Amino acid sequence: MLRYLIRRTLFLILVLWIISVLTFLIFVKLPAGDPARRAAGRRTNERIIAQARKNLGLDKPVIVQYARFAKGLIPWPGLFLNRQVYFSYSNYVPVKEELYQRLPITITLTVGAAVLWLLVGLPIGIISAVKPRSIADRASMIFALFGVSAPVFWLGLVLLYVFWFQLGWAAGSGIPAGETLWQAILKGRFILPWVALSLAFAAFYTRMVRGNLMEVLSEDYIRTARAKGLSERRVIFRHGLRSALTPVVTMFGMDVGLLLGGAIITETVFNLPGLGRYAIQGIRGSDFPAVMGVTVLGTFFIIVANLVVDVLYAFVDPRIQLS
Amino acid sequence: MRRYLKLLALAGVFTIVAAACNTGGDTVTTTTPPPTDGETTAAPELQRGGTLNMAMLSDDGITYDPQKEYYSVTWSVFRCCLLRTLMSYRGAAADEGGTEVLPDLAAEPPTVSADGLTWTFKIREGVTYAPPLQDVEITAQDFIRALEREFTPEAGAAYPFYYSIIEGTDAFNEGEADTISGLTAVDDKTLEVKLTTPAGDLPFRFAMPATAPIPEGVTDGHDEDYGRFLVASGPYMFQGADLLDFTAAPADQAPVAGFDPGRAHVLVRNPSWGEGESDPLRGEFAYADEINIAIGGTEEDAAAKIDNGELDYLIDGVHPADQVQRYRTTPDLQARIFIHPSDAVRYLSMNVASPPFDDVHVRRSINLATDKDGLRRLRPGGELAGEIAEHIMVPGVLGDLLADYAPYATANGQGDIEAAQAEMAQSKYDTNGDGSCEESPECNNVLAVTDEGDPYPDQAALLSENYAPLGITLDIKQFDRGTMYDKCNDPASHTTFCLAPGWGKDYANATTFAEPLFGNASLGPDSCCNYALVGATAEQLAEWGYDAPEVPSIEDKLAECNPLQGDEQTQCFAELDQLLMEEVVPWVPYLFDNNIDIVSENVLNYHFDQFAGLGAYEKFAIASAQA
Repeated sequence: MLRYLIRRTLFLILVLWIISVLTFLIFVKLPAGDPARRAAGRRTNERIIAQARKNLGLDKPVIVQYARFAKGLIPWPGLFLNRQVYFSYSNYVPVKEELYQRLPITITLTVGAAVLWLLVGLPIGIISAVKPRSIADRASMIFALFGVSAPVFWLGLVLLYVFWFQLGWAAGSGIPAGETLWQAILKGRFILPWVALSLAFAAFYTRMVRGNLMEVLSEDYIRTARAKGLSERRVIFRHGLRSALTPVVTMFGMDVGLLLGGAIITETVFNLPGLGRYAIQGIRGSDFPAVMGVTVLGTFFIIVANLVVDVLYAFVDPRIQLS
Repeated sequence: MRRYLKLLALAGVFTIVAAACNTGGDTVTTTTPPPTDGETTAAPELQRGGTLNMAMLSDDGITYDPQKEYYSVTWSVFRCCLLRTLMSYRGAAADEGGTEVLPDLAAEPPTVSADGLTWTFKIREGVTYAPPLQDVEITAQDFIRALEREFTPEAGAAYPFYYSIIEGTDAFNEGEADTISGLTAVDDKTLEVKLTTPAGDLPFRFAMPATAPIPEGVTDGHDEDYGRFLVASGPYMFQGADLLDFTAAPADQAPVAGFDPGRAHVLVRNPSWGEGESDPLRGEFAYADEINIAIGGTEEDAAAKIDNGELDYLIDGVHPADQVQRYRTTPDLQARIFIHPSDAVRYLSMNVASPPFDDVHVRRSINLATDKDGLRRLRPGGELAGEIAEHIMVPGVLGDLLADYAPYATANGQGDIEAAQAEMAQSKYDTNGDGSCEESPECNNVLAVTDEGDPYPDQAALLSENYAPLGITLDIKQFDRGTMYDKCNDPASHTTFCLAPGWGKDYANATTFAEPLFGNASLGPDSCCNYALVGATAEQLAEWGYDAPEVPSIEDKLAECNPLQGDEQTQCFAELDQLLMEEVVPWVPYLFDNNIDIVSENVLNYHFDQFAGLGAYEKFAIASAQA
């Protein structure tokens, strides 16, 4: 187990390094615009641009620039996302401060949506699997088709229009100035984002659970369990679902990890100042430190989620050993 | 390994979005014709109190650092609320005197020496900063500190060029001097400014936020992020500014809570702001107790919130056409929509060194053939987008001097092909004199650069139709806005026709429409924004690969106008505008933009601030606070 964790940790570091190099190359070698030119403003001159370049550290050799950024990725006090380098080109705010302030919003959005899509997706998938070709099964498949087909940006706007603008049942987009995250949650400002974000995932999980469970329920050991006289409830939940959920756990970990890196579209549509919107702002403003910070954090979440999933495998499926 | 494809997908998404988004949007605000629609006037019975809820779609690049900010949105917040300057404006529309520059922290208008080189400002007594420096009185040295910061390389100031006429700024900027020799605090309340060349618009330059006083020690260690530690001098300050601790080491200082980038900007009353006579421009206003600016969202989202009263005012967006139409046509809503000229011009820029535009007859012909009304109709708001422009400098800087001037007027602004062909017939490229230069290869596939965003591709298509009868065909290249400006601004790119630029004033003086757009100092990729190459020297033309030996220049006229003051200067610039339109002909100006504001029913006493081209927020009173 220990060796496994060490190996995975080393792999995590390798992937983070590769991602940091890729991100750096994309933004330094293939820039959407010259950050110094942008920082210097539209009406400028050579001297102002040169000074902006120097202030942003862009006058140094590329390898030195990368080394400065890479050093800021080392999880050590004084180095990690240090303000000397990880300082937004756009509004001159430390990136670490931005990430820490926005992370709770993204976590709230992700966790709420994840709970919702599990609460919806799993029961419907199970019902659909145990009663194939029934009305419930047909209805669940229609739901799944709609959920998978409806893009989040469209669904989000429709939900806002209907439930906020027309009916006034839900809160509108954004978190007003002066309102804390808890207040926003209590006022229901996350309800529509949770619904919009979770619908596609719920639909996908419904299909996945249905397919897996139907396959498992046709296995010989399920037939044996039934032949031994176990109740149908025990057969499904104790023996069938446990096997059928293994791939669901895998997907769940990866999906949550990905969303923790920023649900870009949902945060944009619902005007939530989370990591996704920060990433978009950084990209639009050629704000490389911000983009690097979000990218590396997002990568970290995905890899850690994968690691957690792999460890959970051992508990969900006794046939798997960590080695 | 399959699962790590998600990582690559993430990086890929960022790359694609980066390529799609790139630089910022339109730099010029869009908007309509009849100035003011039912603007209300100050009612003495208005009560203070309540919260003004505003929204900003994006605060990318906003720092609230007075030296770094070069954006009308932040200037509007500085002027109304946070920073006082020696000179300022009354927060009113042009027809209410909003372009008149008036003493603010100056006790009286400045005096100037006979040679125009020495200006003296007397500073108002008894004015202090906001907490935590409420006991610190504003002195002459504080203005010098602000201007020195403008020339401190590490501060990354945005517009030092406006102050480089002050003696000794170069030496200070290059580290050869510890102070700017042209700035002297004669005493605590007297500032003397010595210039190297006369500048009649100096009072306007001292109304810019970069010249707002800075108390001693507050910018130490905050070259990059002073905006988060801003010490206010206006009627408002950032929430939490009173907790700033400048006695701590800079790295240990906590920034103000009220400037929360990406989320909200919250302004509260400055308890040490002196009302009445100590602030003659804002003293009777500052109605709202608190100003909240929420960040993010879309224009449609903001429109819906204004409709239902959740939001009072949108600072930086364009109201959706259907909302504008509804407010224009519904009697109950008409009192909440306001339309003003925003002092910005939209134009087509012709490279006077590049064939066929090296021939003035072709340039005049293009002016006559352009369907300006068609271009306007394609813009958001259609006819409300603005007035058809017949010359270069906006009325906001020239007054009514050129109100009836229209050298290329056509019926309804829709172009006159016959007149255009008659002009073209005089061109060297129309060798057979038939009004079309199609026989000349220079007229085929003229390189035209435009913005890829709406409505510019449609406008480019319209222009192609307009010029076809003249024998001119366009090779239209579309770019994101930033790249488009880079192409237009780089003489070596040989962009012949730049189809989508716009220009707004920095301050209400015509100098901001002259040298930056047509001066030799504004040429080249590391300067801005003389896209037409007016005034380029023979050496420059050769360096950039042009065959033209010379191009028209306005340097002499600039030298004549710049030192003048007041009406005399305005008259000179009006003559320059005429010279440009008739002799130089570098542009087809087609629209003087309007600004359309819509406010919620919670806002009383709306006023437009002509300086920033946005609302005068200090004058907005809150309905719910009225007895």
